[in-house]
Amino acid sequence: MKLFALRPLVARLSWAAGLSCTVAAFAQAPAAPAPAWKQGMPAAMANSTLAPLAGKLTVTPAADIPIDKIKLPPGFKAEIWATGLPGGRAMARGDDGKIYVGTRGLGRVYEVSDNGSQRSVRTVIDKLNQPAGVAFRQGSLYVMAIDKVLRFDGIEKNPAAAPVDMTAAFKLPSEPHHNWKYIAFGPDGKLYVPFGAPCNICELPTQEYAQIRSYNPDGSGMQVLATGVRNSVGFDWHPVTKELWFSNHGRDWQGDDSPNDTMHRLSRTGINAGFPYCHEGRLPDTDVKKANACQGVEPPVAMMGPHAATMGVTFYTGGMFPAEYRNVLFNARKGSWNRTRKIGYDVVMVKAGADGSNARVEPFMTGFMDEATQTFWGRPAYLMQMPDGALLVSDEQLGAIYRISYAR
Amino acid sequence: MRRSGLLQWCAPGLGAALLWLATGATGAFAQSIAPRLAQCAACHGADGNSQIKDFPSLAGQPRVFLENQLVMIREGMRDIPAMKGSLDGVSDADITALAQHYASLPVKSTSGPQNTAWLERGRQLASDMRCGICHLPNYQGREQMPRLAGQREDYLLHSMRQFRSNQAVGRDTLMAAALYGVSDQDLQAMAHFLARTPP
Repeated sequence: MKLFALRPLVARLSWAAGLSCTVAAFAQAPAAPAPAWKQGMPAAMANSTLAPLAGKLTVTPAADIPIDKIKLPPGFKAEIWATGLPGGRAMARGDDGKIYVGTRGLGRVYEVSDNGSQRSVRTVIDKLNQPAGVAFRQGSLYVMAIDKVLRFDGIEKNPAAAPVDMTAAFKLPSEPHHNWKYIAFGPDGKLYVPFGAPCNICELPTQEYAQIRSYNPDGSGMQVLATGVRNSVGFDWHPVTKELWFSNHGRDWQGDDSPNDTMHRLSRTGINAGFPYCHEGRLPDTDVKKANACQGVEPPVAMMGPHAATMGVTFYTGGMFPAEYRNVLFNARKGSWNRTRKIGYDVVMVKAGADGSNARVEPFMTGFMDEATQTFWGRPAYLMQMPDGALLVSDEQLGAIYRISYAR
Repeated sequence: MRRSGLLQWCAPGLGAALLWLATGATGAFAQSIAPRLAQCAACHGADGNSQIKDFPSLAGQPRVFLENQLVMIREGMRDIPAMKGSLDGVSDADITALAQHYASLPVKSTSGPQNTAWLERGRQLASDMRCGICHLPNYQGREQMPRLAGQREDYLLHSMRQFRSNQAVGRDTLMAAALYGVSDQDLQAMAHFLARTPP
């Protein structure tokens, strides 16, 4: 009867207890997609109090930012470059130097103007559903929210530019979880867009998730570039090979040290990064199983730390930093919540061959988190190289942007 | 009349007083949230414990939760018809002060007589659905995650129904996912239990 038909669904959830309530829940909703939150949460962790960390949605003045706690290699300096952007994360630079910054929960996109000595911030648009994706091309700002794609033509010169709604062309899937975006234009002029898995761990409800795709700027010509990508919210193109390198968040609730977040290289169109069956290119999932789970899975270039929240990716090509930093991949790790001891809360470097070989992960910017007290004050999220070679780092927690410069 | 009432709420509110000191607040600052508090009290109760159906109690909620929700309502991300416009132009500092004020007030449960069967069912469901991982095992909430213990039963039910039907726009997609497809009867049982959990 009904109850038996539901058993496989129930079994897929790792709840040891509460079968009756689970059955009741699914009996009400025959077409239920996998719940994003509880699935894959083992009974052993029922008494855990690990939970996502609170964001801060109010303005943090510069005086309240302990920038002196930042640690960098000798010769580097961090300063507060802009404040007053609560929730600000990914950054896109306009042709005239204005910087556009997306947010998630707060629903705003900011514009930062620099007069050389000071920065001012205005809100370009608000009330969007997690407009995390921002990109700039040929005078136009592209904004991608969970359920909307907008283009602002000539926005740098015309602050009142009305958006063109391009949502229909992109055919965005319906499930919201993990479907906030990082977007960027590639060297081929295409817009690259990730589509996260709408769960922690699950069989995908439909195949349009856990992908990275590219589109023509108008939303036509969609191509799936990678599958099995749980949640990528950062990528860049290798300065020499022009290949896409992308960060990817590993699943939660599988222990403090497993699996790692990962860094990948799109060695060819159509690679499979393994989700949901295989993590790190080598670890079969403990909840969603299939035979030969890791067969055909493209191994990652580097392990970025379990639950570390690997975010923004930027290859450094500027002239300001010393020569050994040239073509090094910088990666912001926003920091863990699903782990007993915190990890991340820093910017690291991935040093690897152009083919991804011999990758080493080394610290670059630390001091946001105090290991002894397990407290943090900032969460670095994205990076952007400026024309002078300085590196901007956005802090999503305090709504600030820091500038890292180097002087001998 | 209003003013004396306000003093009465604030006098025991050591937290609020400390906040004013901590932020270097002057009389002007205190005054800036005073009219807001009177406005809030009309629906949420003079002591932050709502006596009105479907209106939540704010007393004893985590400060960060209140602050985040107030910002989201001001921004228009959370669309609450009864609050439309009421937070227009309120500064971040005043929102933090309001949040601090209500976080410091004691919770008084407003729940009616209990039904033992519902209570037990709700207790079991909340346990099985791992609500306590985020909201803490005693459901007192923390940081951005609200207190459930002692909240109004009708509001708990209203709020969970919103999450389940994807109408909780501006709030965490995780909760929509956690309650996906849960039956109304089960939501009612959980609301019944949580409202009667000692604050």
